[in-house]
Amino acid sequence: MTDPFPQEADPTTSEADTRPRQRFELEDTGFDEVPPRFRKFYRRWRGPGDQLGPNEVICPVCKVVIRSTRELRPGDRVYCMPCMSRLIVVRGEDGRLEARVAY
Amino acid sequence: MQNKRLSGHPKSAEPGEGRFDLHDLPPEVFYDQVHSFEFWFQAVQGYLSNKVYGVDPNIAPPDLPDLDRDRLITVLCNYCVGETAALEGSSGLIGIAPNRQTKIFLSTQVVDEGRHLEVFLHRLQLLGVADPESEVERRASRSLMLFKRRLLELVNGKDWEAAIFAQNVILESLEFTVFQSHAREADPLTRDLLLGIVKDERRHIGFGENELGRRLQLAPHIRARLGQVKRELDHLVLDTLEETLLELGADSSEREKLGRAYLEAAARLGLGT
Repeated sequence: MTDPFPQEADPTTSEADTRPRQRFELEDTGFDEVPPRFRKFYRRWRGPGDQLGPNEVICPVCKVVIRSTRELRPGDRVYCMPCMSRLIVVRGEDGRLEARVAY
Repeated sequence: MQNKRLSGHPKSAEPGEGRFDLHDLPPEVFYDQVHSFEFWFQAVQGYLSNKVYGVDPNIAPPDLPDLDRDRLITVLCNYCVGETAALEGSSGLIGIAPNRQTKIFLSTQVVDEGRHLEVFLHRLQLLGVADPESEVERRASRSLMLFKRRLLELVNGKDWEAAIFAQNVILESLEFTVFQSHAREADPLTRDLLLGIVKDERRHIGFGENELGRRLQLAPHIRARLGQVKRELDHLVLDTLEETLLELGADSSEREKLGRAYLEAAARLGLGT
């Protein structure tokens, strides 16, 4: 099966998007809805006052926070395992990273 | 300053370290993984293994005022109708599912829906309802019963797209929205029960939206028919949502917010009107 959304940079790549990506050591946050080896890639959104890190986006389908071991950038592919969705990272109108479902 | 404790500890700025990242998996490997009984089993073990009838056995059944108890019984009776619809719908859909992955996924959904029905009936018993199944029949919302009948007609008519839309997008979105809202205000026992069910519902809504999203890309002409199904069922679902939220004591702004949340999935599929 050909992946119609290869992991490549968005054409609007900014200077900040060309520097090396930060890497992250993920820790288990108590998320228990996926098999143990995948749990560190997700956490619950903790409501007002919570903040997304540069390696995180919210799944628009089920509202879980998706985490990566690297800083996310527009064009990246991420998976929401709790709701089994494939998503593409985009920059939203407010400048923040968002995830859109890639069917 | 981003919250490092939640997002993880920054490690280095060097790319290409060869560390496993789930998001690097090829899509076909990811889908094969998540549409498996093995995935389902390991997922539910994480949040159900220590539960009895879906709740932490250390939570004692609370004493509720008579009016609250009566309202909760009505709400739970309607949850039972929704879960029965999804149980009968998802089991019927296995026979017309187009491939092995969807058949296996639906078999896990059948198990989830059967569990949901069982734990809601058990909660009714804990509330003192002697014959929960008769009580469900007596208190069931007319709108929800009509929705159930129409869903099963679509399943029996072997209309895969319309039935998946009605069940896994419309019905599951309704349940996902209502259960989360209810859990915020519920007594501790009911809250624990609902939060466990919401975790199952994530899989169901995701499956429905993604399955239909892929089909709509390959066959955009089915969008018109799904729009027709949505228009036919929307008022039944929104009436049910309104009735349930009134029983739960939600104010008008909360009801409006939840109505919009319910419609989000259909909107993402281009079925917003």
